Order: sequence, then structure tokens, then C-alpha cells
Amino acid sequence: MALKEELAGIVSSENVFDDPETLDAYSRDFSFVKPVKPRVVVKPGSADEVQALVRWANQTATPLVPVSSGPPRFHGDTVPGVPGAVIVDLSGMKKVMRIDRRNRVAMVEPGVTYSELQPELAREGLRLTTPLLPRASKSVVASLLEREPTLIPRQLWASLDPLRCNEIIWGDGHKLVTGDAGNWSSFEEAWERKQAPAGATGPGQADFYRFVSAAQGSMGIVTWASVKCEILPALHKLFFVPAQRPDDLLDFTYQLLKFRFADELLLLNNASLAAILGNGADHIKALMKELPPWVVLVGIAGRSILPEERVAYQEKDIADIAGKFGQQLVSEIPGAGSDEVLKAILNPSREPYWKLDLKGGYQDILFLTTLNRTPEFIKTMNSVAEASGYPASDIGVYIQPLHQGANVHCEFILPFDRDNPEEATRMQQLLTIASEELIEQGAFFSRPYGIWADLAYGRDAQTTMVLKKLKGIFDPNNVMNPGKLCF
Amino acid sequence: MALSREAYRELEGIVGKENISDDPALLDCYRYPLSHTAIHIGPYYRVYTPRGAAVLLPGSAEEVQGIVKLCNKYRVKFKPSSTFWSAWGFPLEDDTIQLDMRRMDRILEIDDKNNFAVVEPHVIGATLQAEAMKVGLNTHIHGPGASCSCLASATALGGLGPDTLYMGHHNENLLGVEWVMPDGEVLRVGSVGSGLGWFCCDGPGPSLKGLVRGMIGTNGAMGVFTKCAIKLYPWPGPAPLPVEGKPPAYKAVLPDNFRVYTLGFPAWKAWADSCYLIFDAGIGYVAHRQFSMFGRDLKGAMVRILSDPTKTLSDIEELLKDPEVQKMTEDMKRDYQIVLAGMTPGDIEWQDKALDKILEETGGWKVKAMLEPDLYNWSLLYMIRLGHKNLNLVYGGGYDGCFGLGGTPDFGASGEPPRVEQATAFKVEWEKKGNVVACGGDAMMGGIGGMGGGGHALWENFTHFDPADKASTEGTFEFFNATDKYGMEKGFGPGMEKMNDYARWTDGKTTPKEIRDRILGAAAQPEAFRYQRKFKETFNPNDLGDGYYRTLDDPIE
Repeated sequence: MALKEELAGIVSSENVFDDPETLDAYSRDFSFVKPVKPRVVVKPGSADEVQALVRWANQTATPLVPVSSGPPRFHGDTVPGVPGAVIVDLSGMKKVMRIDRRNRVAMVEPGVTYSELQPELAREGLRLTTPLLPRASKSVVASLLEREPTLIPRQLWASLDPLRCNEIIWGDGHKLVTGDAGNWSSFEEAWERKQAPAGATGPGQADFYRFVSAAQGSMGIVTWASVKCEILPALHKLFFVPAQRPDDLLDFTYQLLKFRFADELLLLNNASLAAILGNGADHIKALMKELPPWVVLVGIAGRSILPEERVAYQEKDIADIAGKFGQQLVSEIPGAGSDEVLKAILNPSREPYWKLDLKGGYQDILFLTTLNRTPEFIKTMNSVAEASGYPASDIGVYIQPLHQGANVHCEFILPFDRDNPEEATRMQQLLTIASEELIEQGAFFSRPYGIWADLAYGRDAQTTMVLKKLKGIFDPNNVMNPGKLCF
Repeated sequence: MALSREAYRELEGIVGKENISDDPALLDCYRYPLSHTAIHIGPYYRVYTPRGAAVLLPGSAEEVQGIVKLCNKYRVKFKPSSTFWSAWGFPLEDDTIQLDMRRMDRILEIDDKNNFAVVEPHVIGATLQAEAMKVGLNTHIHGPGASCSCLASATALGGLGPDTLYMGHHNENLLGVEWVMPDGEVLRVGSVGSGLGWFCCDGPGPSLKGLVRGMIGTNGAMGVFTKCAIKLYPWPGPAPLPVEGKPPAYKAVLPDNFRVYTLGFPAWKAWADSCYLIFDAGIGYVAHRQFSMFGRDLKGAMVRILSDPTKTLSDIEELLKDPEVQKMTEDMKRDYQIVLAGMTPGDIEWQDKALDKILEETGGWKVKAMLEPDLYNWSLLYMIRLGHKNLNLVYGGGYDGCFGLGGTPDFGASGEPPRVEQATAFKVEWEKKGNVVACGGDAMMGGIGGMGGGGHALWENFTHFDPADKASTEGTFEFFNATDKYGMEKGFGPGMEKMNDYARWTDGKTTPKEIRDRILGAAAQPEAFRYQRKFKETFNPNDLGDGYYRTLDDPIE
């Protein structure tokens, strides 16, 4: 039987695509990862279909590449690593399966985007903390599985929060439900007992969901996940603490993290904030000149209990803390007002995606470290960029405290014109040199896309060996996105 | 098979003569009586855990690695334990090598900027808390109390405690692990594996933290954890804790940015409503149904006895006649304790107001008797340090928990009548038989925030008995059999009382395979244990752990 017919037997013929335009669209993304054309793209509509696809892949030794978010894509993780792959596009699995206001959890399929979920949550008085301006097509489940940073560090009790329960189809074709829901016989029985998919751990003595995190689809496919939501704020304000240097903002930020004050809490440089607020290259460039070099964004939300009083005392106390460290909490800075910025960071990105707007393309370099070490990484990034002829002033910097401040996501955003081959070549060289220097300096590439995989695993042989053994357990025939990470 | 002399000499060469022994008298000191609070098995009267082949006290990760490699060479099972919490820390088979981790007791680092500590296995909650407080930080202290190992809680066992609402579950707090795997290889999990420090336990790529532990850990059955990093939390109070009072009625007078209340509610629905409102408000430093472990009918009297050094258990009957104690007991029928800690004056003021608002909305109250200064300061210290675990044993010398009712606050509080009342009524009938302490049926203790930020509650029904008394011990065992059956019939799910039956059986040794397979096979997803079998085959090829690691041999369906 022809490949297309076999797959049509699983997902029906209207969900199998092999036209050149479609295959070309999935063969590349905005990264420097080498393009590889898939054989077919399929769009399953249910977990059963996904499971059947994975079993078929095992029988036929066909590589599968799971994709949940719509384009544009940026990190090469959904570009096939080997020829002959079948793309499993989950973007059509769009059910919001349950919203439980009392327990503040929602269950969603992988095709549900932030743009789609937030309005539904808002109707129940909830919202989900998001990454910084995700693109409109970004899958909630994919974002959380990829451990993308979110904006409210005080709510990140666990490193994978707000991701909780997951249904996983492993690479061997077996299904496992993780977290609280993994201990239930049926949803109906659980709802009758007033249980909720709130706890992430288990079942048993392993946290299975951690194996699919930052796995780039190489271990299995998640067919639904539950997420922990926050109460929709009744009152929400945003403030700025501007500074000339990032070093000036660290003690203040540490104090807020320690006290677990503030809601949204992140550091941006002028290039990043300009890209968020600007509309077109000229506007962004003008804003870059106007905005202060560095700023901490401080969100304060009042929710269901005494919202005004909460916002009032936090505003006062946070202003006092800023003063103690020689800084000022303000609601306006040159080039930006608080309402405008709050609206921007609470919503998905406008089109084009905010990181693309300045030059039409960008390369990011992202890793984890601790807050106190960020200035030295910034210095290194700037000096490597300048040495490569790239203007350091164009580099956007985004520092997001995570896990209640135990670590931070440090991201450098380097816009470039990807239609200019010379510029693209220089950027690719800069990416390599900067990544090598940063990892030498202590950057932890915990989500090792593209060239970072070799760099990261090259530093940790034992982890690499254990991961390979684990991969052998869950995906013994190596059908799940081969050629990524260390597999 | 006893340990060969050759193997003994080689082990001695690793840890030194003074840190190894196979003296039978000493080995018997490392056995655990299963009549005594074995935690979720038995109790079995006059049954002991098996005798080990030797006890070793390693002093470093290198020594542990050397021991584990030798165990692989000689195919000898090994069982590490740090603070030996109940039967969990003891072998399931004769001639197992027991590793007592007490020499590895250093706090290696406290990072007061990024709020974590790196500890060795025998660092206990009280020690880490005292050191952390010196730099304005505090540590989560898990349910077994301040005398237990932080590392064991974070890596190998549970990790839940009264302060989880604010200070997280120890699963959540784990930021890095050094793990001597069962085959003797050393894995450093997370950023520390790349030599970059202890700030993140996930990556690069898929997180191997998932292999270290799940809802619970591997109970010492999958190698030895020799270091770990755990997240710390702010301590807005003095250091050291200003403890005063005559034993056992220790108290602490803390500054005005602390509050401790015992909250009472008119109905279980209101009780659950208050939990959800507390989660939504994000208030609370410690929140736990603590003193209910003394029993619904007795807790008022017991709190009086324990907070007054002039009183003893023999005063209980007199106290029960006291109308004030009776009122207090009634006020505390559906209760929990909560500590508020303000980082600033504005913070504590807002938290206090928010709590009042929650009480107003739910019809709840602050139990007045618990606001008297002595009781207030006693309960404040109790909740913050969790240093009174000996009181679990206060009635008869033994206790164990049953039911559990773990899940959302609504789970225990709902049903007709509420499940908590069903469990209470069931226990009251058994208390009448005279083998367990008659304390009012509801001795259900548990956190109202079983994960960081709330979401889970636990209702562990303490059952107090006398482990030295055959009738009491065996009567308790019968009660747990009945509890298990009742809970399953009523749809409560598996209770805590037989949680470890899959591992250890009535003779104190490994549960027979057919029984173990039946228990694990009845789980909602036995596949999890089939995958764990694969983990064991892969990372513990010589099967040198024990049956506490849950595995099923049949293929995954």
C-alpha cells in the first residue's frame, strides 16, 4: 500500500498532505538548521490517531516529527533531522477539554494556542501566565513542554509550572497519563469525587512528564495537558524601574524575588522593549534611542480578595525597596507608558512577530544562569558581537527570573536580515562563536536547540549516556524526531 | 549468604575499620520493630526487619561509589538510609549491606542570593533551618519533622509538609542531585552535571530529575543520593529562633509580623471553601491541620497538657470535664492552623485582612482559646519548626495513618455525609473495641496546601496504639484491614494504611511476588511500574536494590 494511503487509513485522506508547498513549508524554519524535506504531513484529530501513527511508525521504521504550533518557527526542532520523515501536525487538536475554576486548572489539547485559550479562561475568571509575547500561533502545550519562560516567577513553584498532568504517547506506541490524573480510573469518576488534574508528579516513583520536557518531540507526543491557572486580576498595574546598567537592578530584583512581591517581573534592555512596543523598523529604532538602557518591569495584580488593598501596599512597599537600592519605581519612562506595556506583555505578539520586526529575521541565544551572573554574560555577548562586526546596540536582552528566583532565563535577541546572504552567514558565525564563549563562561543551555546540543552534551557525558538509555526505553526504534539532541 | 571475608576486607578498605561492622549485636541495632510505627504497613507484633550483612558509615560520595561498585562485584544488595524514618529505611532481605549516612552531615553551601542550599544526606531540617535563618532564609520541613534528613525527603521519600503551601513540596524544591547510581556510576542531575552550579535540576534537554523521583522517591532502592540542592525561602524573623519555656512546652515569641491562628468552621464545605480562598489569595506561611492528630474529642485537652509543663497525660480526664476545654474542642472540630508571615508591615496587615475576609465569607472563626499567649506562642513554634514529632507517639507509643483522602480540598470535604465524616464514623466504631485509642474518630492530620501555592489537601487519620501490647497491635492491624476494604468500597481510593504492602510483608521481608503483582497490577496505570521495571533493568542491572522500587515484570500492554 502506498504511504499516503496507509496514513489516510489512520487519519483519513483529507488530513494527509504531500503537495510540494506544504512539504517545503515544513522543511525549514527561521533557524540555521539544515532544511530537510519531509515525505508527508499528517494532521491527526485524536489521541487514538496519534497512537496509531506512532505504532505504524514503529512497524515501518518511519521517523515522526511532532509539530503543534503554527509558523513561523525558529529553533529547528520541528525541521526533520533525517530524510523520509512524516510530520505529525497536532495543530488541529484544539479542544479545551475542561476548565475548573475552583481548582484553577484547565485541560487542553496540543493545538490550543494562547490566543484561543485566554478568552475561554477569562470567561471563568481565570488566565494563564504566558511567555513574553508568544506568537499568535504558539501552542500552549508545546510552549510549556519546551520549558519556555513565563512572566510571573513567584507562581513558579516547580520548574515546569504551570504544566501539570499530561497524556503521553511514547515512542514505543504506549500511552501513559502523568500526574494526578494518572491515578484515576476514569475522568467521570474523578469529577464525581471532585478531584482535579492539579498535581504534576508521578504516577509511581518517576516524574514521567519531565522526560518529554525540552525533548523536542524525541521521546513521545503529548495529546493533552492540564495547566495551573491564575485568577484573572480585578486590578492590574505595571511599573518600571529604569537604570543605566543591568548591575544597578539586581539587588532590587533579588529583594522582590525573596519577598515574593510583584507578579510579572522581568528585565529588558531598550532594544527588547523597543521591539515589543514598536511598529516597524523605524519606530523601533526611534524607541531604542528614547527608552532607558535597562528597565525592570514590575506587574502588581489584585485578584479576588481585597484587590485594591493588595495593589496599594505592594506598590508602596516595592517603591520603598527600589528606593533602598537607589532606584525609582515609576509608571512612565521616556518612550513607554505602563498601560501600553502591560497590554503588550499580557497578550500574544502583534504581526509580524515582535522579534522579526526590526530586520525581518533574528537569531536568539538563550540559556539559564543565576541573576547575579547575567551582567558578565551580557558583557561577553556584546564584546563577541562587536568583534564580529554586529552592533551590540541592536542586541535585545531579556532576563526572566524563574522558579521563584532560583535561576533566570537569559536571552539575547539578534535581529538580522535573513534575505541578505552575507549577513546571514555572519550571523551564523556569530551564533557559533558566541555560544561557545558563553558556555565556556558558564551558560547552561538547558534547552539545547541546534548547535547547542553538541555544546551542552559535550560538557556532561554521564547525562548524555543516561539520556540515551532512557531514549532506548521510550523510543526503542528511534522513530521520534531522530537527529535532535543527543539521539 | 553472609558477606565473604574478602568482600568485608575490601569494604573496610574503603571506609576504614572504624566505619564498618558486622558484629551481630550492632547489626541487631539496625533492625526495626514492625509493631512500632512502621508507617503504612502492619503493624506486625514482634516482627523485625531482616538483619544486615554489615553496617557501613561512608564519609564521602567517593566512598559510596566504591561501596556500590563492590556490591556490584560481589552481587550484594545495599540499602542506604540517612535518618531511618520508619521501616522504609531498613532492608527487605537478610544480608543486605546497610549504609548509615550519618557521617555525611555537612551543609556545603547556602546561597543567600539565589536562595538554595547544598546538603549532604544527614543534614536534618532543624540544622538547615537554624543555619538558613542566620541569613534570612528558611527551609521547608517535611512531614516526618525537623529531625529528619532534608536530602532523603527531597530525593528518596515524600516531601510534603505543613509549610508546603508557602515553601513548596520537596519535589518542587529539588534543584540538583549527585546520585551514585545502582551500577556505581555517578550522575549529577541538572546544571551541576555540566559543572555550572546547583541552580536547575532540568536539562540539558529531557529532565533526568524525572528518574530521581516522582510523587515519592525510590526509598533507597535505586542507588544512593550523596548531595542535593534545595530551594530556600525567606525568613522574616529573628535568628536564632527565640525559644523559651520548660520542656516539653517550648514556645517562641516572634515579632508582630507573624501570626498563628487555629481556624474553625461550621461545616466541611466552609472548611474547603476557606482553603480555596487562601490558595486564591496567596496568603499563609504554614497551613496545616496539625493538632487534630490528637483526635476530635481530645485535642483541646491535649493542647492544654502539651503547652503546660505541669500537666501530664493523667490530667486528661479532668481536663475533659472543663467547660472551657470542651468549648475549645468544639470550636476546633473542623479546623486547621495557619501561620502568616509578613515580609513588611503592609504585607502582614494585608494578609491578616484577607484572612478576616475569608473567615467572613465562609462563616469561620479564629479559635479564641488558641489566642491565649502561652498557646499562641507554643503553636507558633510548633508549626514553624515542626520539632514535636515525638508527640505522634504520645498516647500509646505507636501510631500509623490510615485513609489519606489525598487530592483536592473538596475531595475529603464532599460526599453525603462528607467523606471525612464517613471515615470518622467508621473509626469511632473500631475505637469502641478498645485496641486503638478512642479519641473521637477524626484524628485526621494533613496539609491544606499539599503543593506549592495550594491545590491539594491530605486527611491522614492517625491511629494511636500500643506497640508493646499484642492485642492493641493486632487490633490495629485488623482495623487497617477493615479500613482498606471500607475505603475501596466507598470509592476513597487506596488508603495510606497499606501503602507499603507491595514491598514488605508480614514476616518483615519482601512481599511474595504474586501478592506484589496483584497490588501493583491493580493500580490505575500499572504501565508505570512496567516502565520502572525497564529503568531497573537499565540502571540497576544486578538488582541490588530492594522491593520498595515498584516494578511489574509483565510486558507493557
